[in-house]
Amino acid sequence: MRRRRRKAPGDVELNLAAMLDMAFQLLAFFIFTFKPAPVEGQLLLHLPPAQAVTKVAANPNQPGGRSAAPPPAEMNALMLSVLSASSGDVGALKFGTSVLFQGPANKNSLARLDKKLKEALASPTSPFDQVTLQIGPKLRYSELMKIVDVCLKQQLPDGKPLTKISFVELPSGADL
Amino acid sequence: MSASMSHGANAEPNLTPMLDMVFQLVTFFMLVINFKGAAMDLSLKLPVVGSARPVDAKGKEELLVLNIDHEGQLKVYGEPKPDVKGYIAEEARSYVAAAKQKDGNFQTGDSLPAIVVIRADQATPFELLNRVIKTCQDHGFQDFALKAMNRPQ
Repeated sequence: MRRRRRKAPGDVELNLAAMLDMAFQLLAFFIFTFKPAPVEGQLLLHLPPAQAVTKVAANPNQPGGRSAAPPPAEMNALMLSVLSASSGDVGALKFGTSVLFQGPANKNSLARLDKKLKEALASPTSPFDQVTLQIGPKLRYSELMKIVDVCLKQQLPDGKPLTKISFVELPSGADL
Repeated sequence: MSASMSHGANAEPNLTPMLDMVFQLVTFFMLVINFKGAAMDLSLKLPVVGSARPVDAKGKEELLVLNIDHEGQLKVYGEPKPDVKGYIAEEARSYVAAAKQKDGNFQTGDSLPAIVVIRADQATPFELLNRVIKTCQDHGFQDFALKAMNRPQ
């Protein structure tokens, strides 16, 4: 059986109640300010300064007669045009000057884009080291991220991942 | 206190285990507290992108977190910033001053050593988002992190 130690007359006992009060106050503060942050991811991009687009060719197929300017030859940028529908979804995607798909960006259309980008960027003779996205002004951020996501999955001929992407806003008449 | 009372049953609780437990709880909350969370506007619905990676600052410690709602309004630490250009210009000036202090060879116009973290609502139209991105680019920011969720909430 444990024997209780007898208090010596000169023993000093710490009063823990005050310390406990303070600890409870700290605890209350941390409990009230605790807000678990959602687990967010991110897509890292190196966005070079915007290039001036000077050549705007008239295109009779586009409403308003305007279209995206062709990429300047010295830029080595692969040009993708993402036209937006009035709902904010992808209306059509042009790979260079040819239409790759029309309608919303779903799994199939994104797989086609992925394949096409691989062919254009991973080839050893590929002149491209960046992608320029010409985007319709109404395109929703969530739709844009789908396209950017596919672009960031690409690799350049030297094996490095593609991170250089530029955004150019299409004139509002270029929307579908 | 009378002498008769002090001679009665002395039922002082032993507070030491309780204090131990409370300190452990305090330590837990101190470790999980996230002060950077204050920069995030949790009312925004971020887009869902499967390949979004957790935060990697690439050695750049400075992050400029910009929250953009579906109407294109910029919010920083919960405070709306109607003058987007003025705010970004001011931030850029402070980054330039810090970079010049750190690196004597730094020139105005060089890429700023900071990552602009864009937290935009999934319904934000590109034209509104692009205004903010373009303003950042005009002031020397070149590295951007577009925030997204890995899976739907």
